[in-house]
Amino acid sequence: MKAMKKSALAVMALVLVLVMAACGSGNNGANNAADNGTSNGGENKPSGKKVTIEYWHTYSDAEEKALVEKIKPAFEAAYPNIELKLTRMPYEGLKQQVIAGVAGDAAPDLMRMDIVWVPEFAAQNALMDVSKLEGFEELKASVFEAPMATNFYNGGYYGVPVNTNTKIAIYNKATLEEAGLTEAPKTMDELVAAARTLKEKGKYGIGVSGIHAWGLGPWFWSLGGSITNEDYTKVDGYLNSEASVKALQTIVDWNNEGLVLPVMLGGEPGTWDGIISGDYLMSDDGPWFYSTKIAEKEQTGFDPMEQTVRALMPAGEGGSRSVIGGEDLVMFANSKHPEEAWTFAKWMLTEEPQKMMAETGLIPSNKAAADAMKTMDIPFVDTFVEQLETALPRTPIPQWGEVEGIFNLAFEKAIRGEQEPKAALDEAVKQIEAILN
Amino acid sequence: MSTSMLTPETKQVPVSSKNKFKLGLRQWMAVLPFVAIGFIGIAVFVIYPMIRNIMISFQDYSIMPNAANPWVGFDNYTKVFQDPNDRFLIALRNTFLNVLATVPVNWFLAIFFAVLINAKFVKFKIAFRTIYYLPIVTSWIIIALLFKYLFADGDGGFINYILHAKLGILSEPISWRSNYWSAMVMIWLFHIWKTVGWGVVIYLAALQGIPKDMYEAADIDGANAYQKFWRITIPLLKPITLFIVINLINGAFGFFPQVYFITAGGPMNQTHVIPSLIYIEAFQNLKFGPAAAMGVMMGLLVFVLTYTQMKKIGKQKMF
Amino acid sequence: MKTSFINKFIVYAVIIAGALLFVFPFIYMILTTFFQGTNTLPKPDQVFSVKVNFSNYVTVWNKNNFVNYFMNSVIVTSVAMVGSLFLGALTAYGFARFTFPGKELVFRIFLLTMFIPGVINIIPQFVIIKDMGLVNTYSGLWLVYIAGGVIGNVFFLRGFFESIPKELEESVLIDGGGSWRIFWNIYLPQSLPALGTLAIFIFQGTWEEYFLALTLIKSEAMRTLPIAILMFNDKYSTNYGQVFAASIIALLPVILLYVTFQKKFVQSGFNEGGVKG
Repeated sequence: MKAMKKSALAVMALVLVLVMAACGSGNNGANNAADNGTSNGGENKPSGKKVTIEYWHTYSDAEEKALVEKIKPAFEAAYPNIELKLTRMPYEGLKQQVIAGVAGDAAPDLMRMDIVWVPEFAAQNALMDVSKLEGFEELKASVFEAPMATNFYNGGYYGVPVNTNTKIAIYNKATLEEAGLTEAPKTMDELVAAARTLKEKGKYGIGVSGIHAWGLGPWFWSLGGSITNEDYTKVDGYLNSEASVKALQTIVDWNNEGLVLPVMLGGEPGTWDGIISGDYLMSDDGPWFYSTKIAEKEQTGFDPMEQTVRALMPAGEGGSRSVIGGEDLVMFANSKHPEEAWTFAKWMLTEEPQKMMAETGLIPSNKAAADAMKTMDIPFVDTFVEQLETALPRTPIPQWGEVEGIFNLAFEKAIRGEQEPKAALDEAVKQIEAILN
Repeated sequence: MSTSMLTPETKQVPVSSKNKFKLGLRQWMAVLPFVAIGFIGIAVFVIYPMIRNIMISFQDYSIMPNAANPWVGFDNYTKVFQDPNDRFLIALRNTFLNVLATVPVNWFLAIFFAVLINAKFVKFKIAFRTIYYLPIVTSWIIIALLFKYLFADGDGGFINYILHAKLGILSEPISWRSNYWSAMVMIWLFHIWKTVGWGVVIYLAALQGIPKDMYEAADIDGANAYQKFWRITIPLLKPITLFIVINLINGAFGFFPQVYFITAGGPMNQTHVIPSLIYIEAFQNLKFGPAAAMGVMMGLLVFVLTYTQMKKIGKQKMF
Repeated sequence: MKTSFINKFIVYAVIIAGALLFVFPFIYMILTTFFQGTNTLPKPDQVFSVKVNFSNYVTVWNKNNFVNYFMNSVIVTSVAMVGSLFLGALTAYGFARFTFPGKELVFRIFLLTMFIPGVINIIPQFVIIKDMGLVNTYSGLWLVYIAGGVIGNVFFLRGFFESIPKELEESVLIDGGGSWRIFWNIYLPQSLPALGTLAIFIFQGTWEEYFLALTLIKSEAMRTLPIAILMFNDKYSTNYGQVFAASIIALLPVILLYVTFQKKFVQSGFNEGGVKG
């Protein structure tokens, strides 16, 4: 009996210790939050006023190098009172990280976020409206309009465009010659003709890379299709318009004829494999194809500058259209240092830092930097910058995540022959309208 | 089965209905030192999140801290069923298909390999066991990447390369992940390959506990290996089989990485299971209410289905 | 009775075929790590004729703080494993050796929680850890790992504990020892095989855990190994050679641990009295 009591006491004590430890570190946490002067390494600088802002990003290896070696020192030299803490996030499960951060009041101050997420998080009140902040109008005037528009939600701007990108048509040079062409097709009709020639040789010519807005967009729009009206409020009469049905029908017909890359429906080889091996005549992809493949040139023996041809998307009834990608710099609503974060955002969008990142192939959203980029020695960006002029954004609405699910499903059903294009699009419109209203 | 495991102290207390409450209290006081921390941990990190989950299923939930989260009654539940694409029902069907397709195969392979490896004359038992166990100790995400690579389309994927280009069993390479049934088969193979080793290892351990003299007696009676397997091994392993089957069923109900990392629910949302659907609804579409409602409904369903079994499970000796 | 040669041959053939089935994908994976620039995947013909080349391993080892994250994972996983084992055994002992009102009810409720998908539990768990001020600490991670695993571990250990013969306790009781002594001197040593098995399950589960670790740990210096591995999985492309090389390195400690522990957990076997139904 006594032994039992003793042990009971011991356990209680253990619990107590655990709880106290928890509370103790809780206090530490609070202290740390209070004086952000302490840097990561734990050295206590007496300067007191120094503020640390945290920046989440998903830059690639090469881009991160520029960020750490150029951007951070340059910014901290210009603003000695602000320390920039960079955290590179893995792409897998990223959205979950942001959600947990927001829900637990532990989001960073700033994040470089995919443009399609911005309205979605803005609608959750997770982001700060920057349009009222000092210096916003000047900033807005200095950047391109289309990337800026991706931050617009409900009368405000919930971020600023940090870089932009789009996809262009990338051809395998040897396969292009095999198709009897000396230069890239200018129109959809020329491309289809080339694809038919190649079909006899067991190769694929039409490079739709996947059944999602990012993969289908350039093709659907170039063929004359549309998703919504201009202010993104109505899909009925647009997504199921005659022109849209016809555009989808064309893609369906191509696929039935065996002209489209198998990768569209999740098959193999992958887009890059196919372009490199020459089994695929072409596909549309972003600048990272070039930056990655140039970096691997030594190892793989594939020189993308020599062995591929870059061109604008072939024009159809809707012209030569591509899709706008890129990232926005957003500030979270519960940022502890909104002023300093905004200082960084403004600085990051000025010409010099934009040029630093441009060297890695990221296309600046700052007009002056984009101009300067033309004279910089970056071998592949010219076509991307040109394509940007006619590229379209994926519908910037908070419900986009869900809308895209419906969009993808309708297209997949039509392409797999489960539904007629008209019926599939009508059904999608009905479902999307239900979400929008 | 001995029902009372009274501690020496409590044993001496005479049991009368009057003292029942006192006795219960005393019993709790005796056991509390051992289970208190565990119970607190479970309450805080398992039960409480589950209660939150149930609450969220009746709320219009926003991820913002301090948001109002108004109560909406059964709205989230009706929303789940109003889905024009019936994703919940499809996921439910797949969940049951997964149990039916993987549990028997998984169980059979586990006991089959374990009994063979356990045969007296087999050498290098430890090496075999280690190899069979390898898939278990590897991360789901990595194995998923590997399987997608092995099951790649065309003759570039190893499976197609063997079945089509080398052996000619298939007339053309299969696009595994683009069709419903082939995707399901791939998910099942992935799951079985990854988890069979677990059952093998547990069975191997249990088989060593079977007294040798029972087999010797059977030998004298002239029983062959097949008879020995069905008349001695299987009945003796019954409790451990129960433990394994429950875990296999639990595992098959809980498919998440199997689906999320292989097909992400495609093609056309046809291969979703409830957990992957919940994940997509919550963390892609930010619809926590309906996601929580699906979790609650699945929990209730499993509860109803297993309630009658629970009594057995609760009291059954596992080893 | 002697097993005939034919029978022996068939048994060996079957278990070797099984072993090949389990080990082959790993061989394929290792062969793939010998390729460079594997954002595009090599074909089977190429895979089987590849020259051994360890440069991906070298690259991986020196990239993404791999070594740091590896050591972090060792710390996180070891503590979580020891803590889980201890707490699991303690609670299972409570269920196995004591009678108290509502015992089976509580146990059944615990089991039920195992069947409810916990996918979105991560948000409430994170908020609790946040309220305790344990974000960005390993203590927070340990709390969730250990507390979240109790039920499964108790389920595993309870039956095992119940099969330990009561007579063994008598010597302790005669010496005047109580329930704690019985726990330490009888139950733990008697169930080493089960604890060994469980240790491996826990180790491997924690070693590969990704989502929670990433959510709770905000500082890059404190991240764990799975995060480093997935850093090779880029938004636009996956460098398979590097991802697989990193995974092979990550696999080694688990195999090592398995080989060390397995002697314990099979040689003594599940104890004889247990298998009587």
